[in-house]
Amino acid sequence: MNWKRYQNELIVLGAFLFMFSMYLYKQHAISSQSGERNDVTQTIEEIKEVVALKKIWADKKISKKVENLKTLVPSSKVKWSKKSRKVTALYTGLRPSELNKLTSKILNTPVVIDNLDIQKTGSSYRVEFKCKW
Amino acid sequence: MENSKELLLVHTAMKHVSLSEPVNIMLTPQFYTLKKEILPVTYAYQAKRLAGSLFEGLLDGEGSYEFFVYKEDEHWTFIAYDIDKIIDFLQKKGFNQGDVSKIFFAQQSVEEFTAPYVLSDQDALVVLDDTVVLVPVNALSTEEASSLKFDRHFTPKKGVSLEDASSSIFTLKQTVIFSTVFIFFAMMFLIEGSRYGGGSGSAEEELQSLYAQYPSFQSTYTREGIVSKYRELDKTERAKREAVKRLSGMIFKGVTLTALHVDHKSVKANFSCSSKKIAQRVENLGKKAQFKVSKIKGSHGLHMEGTL
Repeated sequence: MNWKRYQNELIVLGAFLFMFSMYLYKQHAISSQSGERNDVTQTIEEIKEVVALKKIWADKKISKKVENLKTLVPSSKVKWSKKSRKVTALYTGLRPSELNKLTSKILNTPVVIDNLDIQKTGSSYRVEFKCKW
Repeated sequence: MENSKELLLVHTAMKHVSLSEPVNIMLTPQFYTLKKEILPVTYAYQAKRLAGSLFEGLLDGEGSYEFFVYKEDEHWTFIAYDIDKIIDFLQKKGFNQGDVSKIFFAQQSVEEFTAPYVLSDQDALVVLDDTVVLVPVNALSTEEASSLKFDRHFTPKKGVSLEDASSSIFTLKQTVIFSTVFIFFAMMFLIEGSRYGGGSGSAEEELQSLYAQYPSFQSTYTREGIVSKYRELDKTERAKREAVKRLSGMIFKGVTLTALHVDHKSVKANFSCSSKKIAQRVENLGKKAQFKVSKIKGSHGLHMEGTL
C-alpha cells in the first residue's frame, strides 16, 4: 500500500485525531477538577459541620448552663441531683409563669433530655427532669 | 482554464525542474501502455469497465494500474498507467504536490505530432499507425529530425487530475483548511484543558486553613465518627424541642396543659379545654402538627402523642 497516495487523508485524519485527543484531555481535566473540587468542598462542609455540632453539643460551658436550671426557681421548690454529667431534678409547686420560664430554659440548653415529665397538680405544676451532656 | 497552463512533456530523460506555479504534463509512452479496440459499447464508463480484462497479461502484476479511456473514430483507446510510479518519478524530477494540475498522454495529441520530436540523444517520439511511439534517434533520417515545437497547443481537452488519479478524497487546499481548523480547535482544547487542570484555588486554601486550625479533622475516619455521633444527637434533640414548641403553640385562652412527657422515643401531652369548640380547635391544630389526637372521655380533654 502506497501511503503517499493517501497523504492528504492521513494529514486530515492526524489533525482530527489530534483535535479529538485534545478534546478528551479537556474533558478529563474538567471532570477531574470538578471531582477534586467536590471532594474539597465536601470536606470543608464536613469540617464546618463537625465544628458547629461540637460547638453546640460539646460546649465546655454546658455544666454552667445546667446549673442555672437549679437557680431559676426558689430552692425550696427544687430537688437537685448531679452525678458527673447527669442531672436529675424535681421541681414542685411551680406556678405557670415559672413553668414557662423553666421549660423554655430547658429547651434552650444543649443537653440530651432523657426525661421531661410535667404534671399539673391543682393549680401548680410538678416537673421531673433528667438530662445528660 | 487548463489550456492556459504550461504543458511539460515528461519523459525519463527529462531534466530536473523547479516550478513556481502549477503546470499540466504530458506523458510519453514510457509511462503508459496503450491498446486500441473496437468494442460494441456506447459510453466511456462502459468501456472503462472492460479495460482490466483487455490488458490482462500485458501489465506488470505488481503495479496498481488505472485506466484512461476515450474514443477515436470507430475504436476505443485504452491507456493503462501506474499512478504511483508516475508520482514517484515526478517527485524525483522536482515536482512537488500541487505542481501538477492535469496529466495528459502523448497519444491524445497524436495529430499534433506532425513530425518526430527528439526527447534525448537516444529517443524520439514519432507517430506510427496513428500511435505515438518511442523510437531510437538513430532510426530517424536526418531530414526527419525536425524542430517540432512542443507547447501548450498540444494540450488535449480531457486529462487526468493528479489528485483524482491518486484517489484522494481531499484536495491539497481542503487538506490545508481542514487540518488548520482541527489544529486550531485542538489548541483551544489544550489551553482550556490546561486552565482546568490548575486546581481549585480558594477552596483548597480554605481547607488547608481549616486543617491548620483543627489538625485532628484531617482524618476522614475521625470526622465521620464525630459527625455521625453528633448528627444523630442533634437530630433527635431538635425533634424533641420542636415537638414541645408545637405543643406549647396550642396553649391559649381556654386551654390548659395538664401533662407533658418527653423521652427518647415520643412526646405526649394532655390538654384540658374549657369548651367543646375550643377542644375541636385544639384537635385540628394537633392533627395539623401531625400528632395523634384522642379525646379524653368525660371531659373536653385531649391526649396528643407524637413519635420522634
